[in-house]
This record gives sequence, C-alpha cells and structure tokens, in this order.
Amino acid sequence: MIMTALPVAASTLVNACGTGWANVRRALRDDTGGLRRNDFEPALGLDTWIGRVAGLEDAALPPALAHFDCRNHRLALACLAQDNFEDAVRAACARHGKERIGVFVGTSTSGILATELAYREGKRAGDASVSGAVLSPSFYRYRHSMFAVSEFVRTRLGLAGPAMTVSTACSSSAKVFAQAARAIAAGVCDAAVVGGVDSLALSTLHGFHSLGLLSRQPCRPFDADRDGISIGEAAGFALLDPSARSAVALVGYGESCDAYHMSSPHPEGAGAKAAMRDALARAGLAPQAIDYVNLHGTASRANDEIEDQAVAAVLGTGAPAGSTKGWTGHTLGAAGATEALITVMALEDGWLPGTLNCRTVDSRMQCRIEPVSRPAVLRHAMSNSFGFGGNNCTLIFGLRG
Amino acid sequence: MSHKSPPGRPKGEYRSAQREGNHTAALGIHGIGVCAAGLSDWALTRSVLLGETDCEAASLGKLDIPDLPVTERRRVNATSRLAIHAALQATAHLPTAARARVPSIFASADGDGAILASTLEALAQQPATMSPTLFHNSVFNAPAGYWTIASGANGPSITVSAGTATFAAGMIEAGVEIASGGAPVLFIAFDMTFPESLRSFGVEGEAFACALLLGPESPAPAWGRIEHWERPARRTSPSALPPALAPRFRGNAAAAALPLLAAIAARTPTAIAVPYHDGDCLELRYTP
Repeated sequence: MIMTALPVAASTLVNACGTGWANVRRALRDDTGGLRRNDFEPALGLDTWIGRVAGLEDAALPPALAHFDCRNHRLALACLAQDNFEDAVRAACARHGKERIGVFVGTSTSGILATELAYREGKRAGDASVSGAVLSPSFYRYRHSMFAVSEFVRTRLGLAGPAMTVSTACSSSAKVFAQAARAIAAGVCDAAVVGGVDSLALSTLHGFHSLGLLSRQPCRPFDADRDGISIGEAAGFALLDPSARSAVALVGYGESCDAYHMSSPHPEGAGAKAAMRDALARAGLAPQAIDYVNLHGTASRANDEIEDQAVAAVLGTGAPAGSTKGWTGHTLGAAGATEALITVMALEDGWLPGTLNCRTVDSRMQCRIEPVSRPAVLRHAMSNSFGFGGNNCTLIFGLRG
Repeated sequence: MSHKSPPGRPKGEYRSAQREGNHTAALGIHGIGVCAAGLSDWALTRSVLLGETDCEAASLGKLDIPDLPVTERRRVNATSRLAIHAALQATAHLPTAARARVPSIFASADGDGAILASTLEALAQQPATMSPTLFHNSVFNAPAGYWTIASGANGPSITVSAGTATFAAGMIEAGVEIASGGAPVLFIAFDMTFPESLRSFGVEGEAFACALLLGPESPAPAWGRIEHWERPARRTSPSALPPALAPRFRGNAAAAALPLLAAIAARTPTAIAVPYHDGDCLELRYTP
C-alpha cells in the first residue's frame, strides 16, 4: 500500500563539515570535506582519517542538563541549537500537545565513550574503585545507556510522547524515519522528532580497525583506489509533521535484512535490493522516477561494489548516484539521518552532490556515479543505509506540489 | 513486505478513532517463548506462574543454536543465545518459510553487559585492542543479526531501547508494525545479568528473555489478546512481578513481561501496567 507523504517540517544537522545547515550547505557546494588526519585525543595511536566535530571537547551543557554531560549529548545539543529547530518543535508542541510528539533517535553506541574513558583512567591508575565511584547508576543511565540520547533529546525539547532509541548499527537513524511514519499512521503520535547522534568512540574506531576497514587516507567512495572507510561523528534531526507545509516529504521507506553475515553484506546484495524495492512500492514509484541516489557508499572495497550491483539491478544504470561520506566520514548510527537530510537538501536546492575524493570512478561500477556536484532538476531522491547484522533501510523523499 | 491495512480498518481511521478515546486493534498472541535459568520454556514458565511447579534454581546452560553456521554458532554471545532461544519457541509452530517472513522487534534496556565489560577491558590495555568477534558481538543489534542468520528471516528487523520503559516501547513498536503491515511480528524483550566488574552501574536482575508472536486476531490467537497497547495511563505503580520470581528478576527491564505472562498462564482477564516514561505506566488489557 502506498504511504501518505510525511512532510519534513524542519531539520538541522552537525557533522565534520560544519554546524548547522548554512555551514554544511557551503561545504557541500565548495567541495570542502570535513575529514582530517586522526587527532582524536583518546585514540591518537590509530593511523586513519576521521570526521571529528570541532569544539566538542570544550562544549558544556546547561546546568539543568549537566547530569547528561558526555560527548554524544554535547553533539546532540550543538545540533538542536541550530536552524531554529527548537522553535519549530515548540510550535509543533503548541499545535499537537507535548504528549502527542514522539521522539525516535538512532545511535550505534550512544554515550559509551564516557564509560570507555572513565574505565581506562581507573584501570591505569591501578585503582578499580576509581572507575567504580565514577561509573554510578546515574552516570550509566544519563550519559552512556542506549536510551540516554533519546532521553536527553526528549528532556531538552520538553516532549512527553512515545520515545525510544533505535540501534541497528549503521541503519539506525534511517529506520527512525520509517518508524515515525508508522507511528503517526497508527495514531500513537501526531508528529515526531527523529534523528541520529553518534560520536567518536574507542570501541568503534578500534573495532573497525580490527576488521581492517579503516583507510589511511580520506575515504574515497567508488574510487578505483578506495581502500576503506573514515569514521565520523554527526547529529541530525528532523521534525516530521503531517500538518506542516514543507517543500519535501518522506514518500517511501523500505526495510530488510540480509540474514547472511554479521558484518559482510550479502554477496548479491539481496537485502539491499529488497529494501530499495520495498521503498519504491511504498512510494508508488517506478524505478525510473528516482532522480538521485545518496548511496551508503562507505568506501570499503566490497561494500561499494555490492551496493553498486544492487542499485543497478533495481534502478537500472541511469540514475545519478553518489556518496557524501567523503565530506562527513561514515557517521555510523547518525549516517542514516545525516544522509537523509542531505538528500532532502538536494531536492530543495536542485543541487546534486557529487562524490568527494572519488577521482577515478572504479571501472567495474555499473551505476552512474557522479564524482562532481552540479545543479540538477530533482523530483524524487533515495537514500540507502546498510548496517551490521545485515540490517538495511532505504528512504525516498519527494518534492511536493 | 506487503503493506495492507488490517481487515475492516482503513489506515486513515486510526487517528480519528483514537481522538475519540477509542483504541487501535487488539494484538493477538499467537506464540510465546521464555528463556531464563529455571524457566527454560513457556510450558515450564506457565506451570511455575500457576504455582504448580517450583522454579528450580538452575544455570542458563550453554543455549546452543544449531541453526547457526559453524563459525557464528561458536562466536555468538550469551545475550543473543538467550533472545534467540525465546524467539525459536514463540515461532516453533510456524513452517520455516513462514517464520522467515516475520519481521522482528528486539527490545533491550542494557544489551550485553559481559561484552561491554570485555570491551572496556580490551580498550583499557596499552595499546588498545578489539577482536573482530568482540566487535561483532558488541553491536546492540547483534541478537537480531544472529537471529536473522539462524532463521533466514530477511524481512524488517528493528532493535529498540527505552530504559525501564523498554518492554512498553517494544510493545508499542510491535502494535504499530501490526497496524501498518497487517501481519504478525515477533517481539523479543531480553536483558542479561550484568557482570561483577560493572556492578556500580546498578543494572540488576537475572537474565530473562520473553518472545511474543503477535498479530491480527485472525486466525484466532492461541493465547488470547492484548488491547489498549498504544498510550500511557496515568498510573504510577506497575503491576507487581509474581512473588516467587520477583527477587530474581526485579530490575531486569524485559522481566516487565512477567505480570502479562502470569495473566496469560491463568487465562484471566487482567489490566497489566508496565513501566513507561515519566513515572507513568502503559496499561495492557489482556483477555484470554
């Protein structure tokens, strides 16, 4: 059944390219990437490039929220404070009531860095009780736990509707758009704040290092010489409100699992194809209607190749496609929301982002990979997110009117 | 995935119906699974909840998953084993192909504490180390990933977390997905015992997992129905856990399922309150 289009009433984002839409837009227009040689103090030993958001180390939370203090929530707050997003949520509150606005936030690791650092410090001081004293129940609940990020957003925005964190690795914050669309259709809320927040953490940096997936250069999606990913951190939020007027709406979503392997995609991209087909069906669109695909495109050798095959099989080889991870890095649990919002921007602006750092498109790619950004008339655009555990989500946005 | 409206209820009706104070369609309970030490399946749990059997103190055991490929079968973490054992029971009556079409909703407040402890320990070494297996198992949706590999389920799967409201959140997500898709979903709530090294976090309760195969009321559900799953009641005290089990499972967010399971076991119409946000409860009305 075709879904009712769900307007994107407001949005905001922060990533290595900059804070807020004006800065991110400029970076995308000017081909100014946000990746830098690893200078993340807790993980300096790793020879890689990262998408670090500058200034989080010195950021502070307001006193009333001090118990939430951690890198992830500093990042979330930096984001909420941009683009008049909080004003838009307040207006929605006045319209619907705070109990009728849901909060669905995707993250892969929430505030785990806070615990990683406190535990390491305690261990190195040779005093287990140091970490025991710091790692209290309230420390865990408000700074680290999986729900902490949703609780923080809900508290900051003064919302009282249904709230939960979605954690399906790198598809997390794409799935929250689908989840909100369903929740609104079923009547459990009238509008929703959705988003993704994931900050740099030792476990993810060292985890991807252990899999041999980190590039030693800024990641180069779909390039013949790509050699791995660059991890980034980001936050992005959208207010989805059926009663809003907006230029762009969510018009389709599709979800699937590979049921194949914990970290490698299905070799024929079966799950990716199923997610894209499901999204097209729910949008009531033919494959030819997709004018731009924001690919998952992590720059890992295998993943880019498999995604290319899957997209070509579902959409054909004509749809312009690219990955914006050369600007932001792979922001894991925040990638879905970050790239959904960049896709929304592409529709609003009539601007097709290219694929930063892709100098020579891998000749084996069948899709029309766009290395260079350009103006384009876009009506419908797709964003792909694929995560560990073989968890896939495709979103389709459309220009309204 | 098909995206049909439930029979007799066009999609657009949900919001207006709710505004009038009515509620959305009931959720039929088509299958149940339980996994905890001394509560190895639903039949035994039911007997314990009815007071017919004492809950024998026992260990969880190895919880092998023969359906996994050799490598995954060896590497799969304890929390995934727990959740998957409950999931297998709740879907045991389904043919393999039908089971593989059921979307899954995994819900956990705290994930795998043992894997977290190992991760913290590994990262505190100089230099820090992580193994690929530890990294795979540290992902919050690892149980869902292993489940899909074991069962071949290639439809949608979501993993949610909401602190003490986690069971309620999973129930809402399940209800919403059924309202949206008109087809059964598998809802698995699970939380693991936290290890001694992370005791200061205050995560309490023994390991417990519960799986419910929920769906429309046709065909007739084997275990009754749940109504009024979609919004909180201003009720500040959750239903008490069964006294015989409360000392072991209090603090485990997934064990919020126990009062519902007790009502199902007794086949008694009951209004069950499970913890929700802001001190409220979600009130689930059970009828056999």
